[in-house]
Amino acid sequence: MPTERLLPRLFAGLLLIMLAVAGWQWHRGAPLSADLMTLVPGATQDPLVKQAEQRMQEPLNRELLVLVGHSQREQAVALAQRLAGRWQASGLFEKVQWSLQTDLQALRSQLLQGRVAMLSTHDRQLLAEQPDAFVEQRLQSLFDPFAGFSLVASQDDWLGLTGRIQQSQPKPVNVQLDTASGALVAEADGQQWVLLRARTLGNAFDMHLPLQVADLLARARDDAGQQGARLLAASGLLHAAAGQQQASREITWVGGGATAGILLLLLLAFRRWRVLLAFVPVLVGMLFGSVVCVALFGQMHVMTLVLGSSLIGVAVDYPLHYLSKSWSLQPWRSWPAVRLTLPGLSLSLATSCIGYLALAFTPFPALTQIAAFSAAGLVGAYLSAVCLLPALLGNVELRPAQWPLRVAQWLTELRVGLLRRVPSAVLLALLVLFCAAGLWRLDSHNDVRQWVGSPPHLLEEAQAVARITGYQPTSQFYLVRGADPQQLLERLAALSEKLDELVDLGKLKGYMSLDRLVASPVEQTRTLQALDRLPGHWQALLAQGVPQTALLAELKQLHQLPIQSIDEVLAGPLGEAWRPLWLGQVDQGVAAIVSLQGLNDTALLRLQSEGLPGVQLVDRLGELNQLFAATQVSAAELKLLSCVLILVLLVLPFGLRGALRIVALPLLAALCSLALLGWLGQPLTLFSLFGLLLVTAIGVDYAILMHERVGGEAVSLLGTLLAALTTWLSFGLLALSSTPAVSNFGLAVSLGLAMSFILAPWAASREGAHS
Amino acid sequence: MSAARSHRVLITIVLLLISPLTLAFTLDDLQKQLSEPAVVSGPFIQEKHLRALPQPLTSKGRFVLARDHGLLWLLQSPLRQDYRIDAQGIARRDPSGWQALPARSAGAEQNRLFFAVLQGDSSGLQRDFELALSGDAAHWQLRLTPRSLLLKQVFTRIDITGGRYVERIELSETQGDSTVLRMPESRGASALSDAERSDFAD
Repeated sequence: MPTERLLPRLFAGLLLIMLAVAGWQWHRGAPLSADLMTLVPGATQDPLVKQAEQRMQEPLNRELLVLVGHSQREQAVALAQRLAGRWQASGLFEKVQWSLQTDLQALRSQLLQGRVAMLSTHDRQLLAEQPDAFVEQRLQSLFDPFAGFSLVASQDDWLGLTGRIQQSQPKPVNVQLDTASGALVAEADGQQWVLLRARTLGNAFDMHLPLQVADLLARARDDAGQQGARLLAASGLLHAAAGQQQASREITWVGGGATAGILLLLLLAFRRWRVLLAFVPVLVGMLFGSVVCVALFGQMHVMTLVLGSSLIGVAVDYPLHYLSKSWSLQPWRSWPAVRLTLPGLSLSLATSCIGYLALAFTPFPALTQIAAFSAAGLVGAYLSAVCLLPALLGNVELRPAQWPLRVAQWLTELRVGLLRRVPSAVLLALLVLFCAAGLWRLDSHNDVRQWVGSPPHLLEEAQAVARITGYQPTSQFYLVRGADPQQLLERLAALSEKLDELVDLGKLKGYMSLDRLVASPVEQTRTLQALDRLPGHWQALLAQGVPQTALLAELKQLHQLPIQSIDEVLAGPLGEAWRPLWLGQVDQGVAAIVSLQGLNDTALLRLQSEGLPGVQLVDRLGELNQLFAATQVSAAELKLLSCVLILVLLVLPFGLRGALRIVALPLLAALCSLALLGWLGQPLTLFSLFGLLLVTAIGVDYAILMHERVGGEAVSLLGTLLAALTTWLSFGLLALSSTPAVSNFGLAVSLGLAMSFILAPWAASREGAHS
Repeated sequence: MSAARSHRVLITIVLLLISPLTLAFTLDDLQKQLSEPAVVSGPFIQEKHLRALPQPLTSKGRFVLARDHGLLWLLQSPLRQDYRIDAQGIARRDPSGWQALPARSAGAEQNRLFFAVLQGDSSGLQRDFELALSGDAAHWQLRLTPRSLLLKQVFTRIDITGGRYVERIELSETQGDSTVLRMPESRGASALSDAERSDFAD
């Protein structure tokens, strides 16, 4: 037959092309990504919000915060110093900082330059409204031995403006400066903790960096342990590393477990080494899936790989379709068997693709990727099963083991026996009752944290670091816009006033807003005007011997200071911590971020900023969780839509009645799966719903097999059983994943598929059942 | 620089009075000599010599240093203001009583240093400064030179002289100004007076 020679060659050509594309895609390293945020929907289309989010995320993904703890401070400092040296030499970090070697000269000159611009709101008020008190306080501070460091000499700042600015700067909560070493030290639990900050060259989504950093940290931990010290670390990098390790572990389990199980099943059932070639479509499917995925998205997420490894069980169904015909078709020959099952195979491909592609229309990039990967993978598996595998099995004569058939026969008889005692209608009623009760028990639960299976020890450590340092960044922040810096700073000030209320109530630990660093141009001018009124009030200073000429000269000097812009203040050493907050010039004006610390009530935050112009609360986590709930509805709609599509597709070969029957069964199976989740006390999540989308698509396949009954009921059931077992194997292994989202998905699909298999025999038309 | 300077001065006094300095035997002797009385008190005169002023800025008052309690610093002229340093930190007295001052990172660190030494941890002072002692028990001089980069940007050195008690402390700043603190009539006592005790109490 010419087609039987042509097809394998054509396919080999296609395969070579795909291999070449894959080679090109992978030649510069694996195009893999572990960035969690690419998996969840971009909640916003606003590029400014996106930019702000990236700004806030960046330190999480590039910074490592380590506490070196020892009962002796010197020991802790020495250890931190050694560690910093070693890490700096590792080449992984852009900067490793353990001590604060502040350039006091630069600090002094910024303070002097910023005397008018950087004066705090409170001090500006005092100066303008109570100039006598202002002078009195200055006098006191001249003789106060405990006012702390004042960096600028008195004669350079008789009015004491720099001291006020210095004191209004935000203080680290629990962290102190060790003057001897310049280290930042916190005391807690009877230990001295030296703070070490490292900033990596790459970020957490680099595939190698997180593991290298985790490795470096593990070695440092061992080293510290030997010296009686402890290390605590917090970083997004460590979560990324844990996530990657977990993903590769699970790909190995799921992929390896499914592969081993399927190969064993093939050998046991068909008793020929050559039959292991049936695994070729699986490999081809993986190749097609990854090539298409990388081509479409530029990269492949590790979670796609984990979920995608369940494709093994679905892809192997295509060869199983015609291999299982060997029980009825003797002598079995590959090409005739393929011809016989080709319509069923094609229908199966179409329905599965509809199911997977329905996932692509959810707003989750993760599922879009999985859908593309799976659909392309299935097409690849189908093509190789139809075009290539028959040629590879060309001269194989299958004589399958008889025991699987006996099992299938026994199952068929069991069912017939059951039906004789209890009619189908009663069974259906019982099933509906069972479902109703199960559904009643079902709880819905959605949280973005289901996407990450962070090990508890990482979370505990991060909490310990937050507790010891008092540094508790929150994921929520404000984005504030203004037409110009003046309006922006006014809006920031209005927000700050509201936030101060929350701080006073203890609902918020603190916040950082640019208006606390630099006054608006209008305020700067007002400060100068208030300073001009001081000569009427500074008698007390003159009485202590401060020469009037010096004071007047200082006033003149203050007038000569130019109005300072946000950029100018941020450029100085005092601006360092504030720089990430400034978004600068944007489309229609300027914008800034207000970061928050130690928040415990988001609703209050929303309430507090209501009605403030130009102020937007960005709460990505909260929005995502809302989106999850909203998507549940659209997932249900997608499910119905995909069923309608499948129904339309099946009307042609099976007629309306047959098609309805075939589609109704997997739907019922999905319902049972939902009920089972309820009975098991498992929550209904978005992921279980997505899983049920797949159940319909794959379950239809079983119903078609049973409806067609090529080779008799027992043989059909056996084919279905084999297909179900392999698929079940791979999705069942997913249920063991430690990522809640993945495990939920796996559980829903495996339960659904088990129910699909049990219900599949009812797909046979009534007349067929009687004959 | 004024505040930091005086702050350092006070800490230094305390260190000298009570810290078990572990350098040469002379420092040991000095430490024993200074820490003998449970309470030392007397007047102080602080002069700030600023390059820009012909006259120093002068303030006067009384201090009480209690080995087991802390330090009272009672400024009397040109304005009246009481301060207290103890294990809780620095407090300032206003009409309604002692008000704790907010802990500042540098101030809190100095405070910590101060009490580490109070508890017999001698390493603190030597980590911050190089110590050089000369003279004899009746007339001694101690020079402190900062070790750390941070302190070097603030002080050139601190010179302390005394006999039975500390008599004079001079801080020389990197920028050329200096502060002289004199305690000409210090007296030792074995216990606090009732008034002093109540000042430490609440």
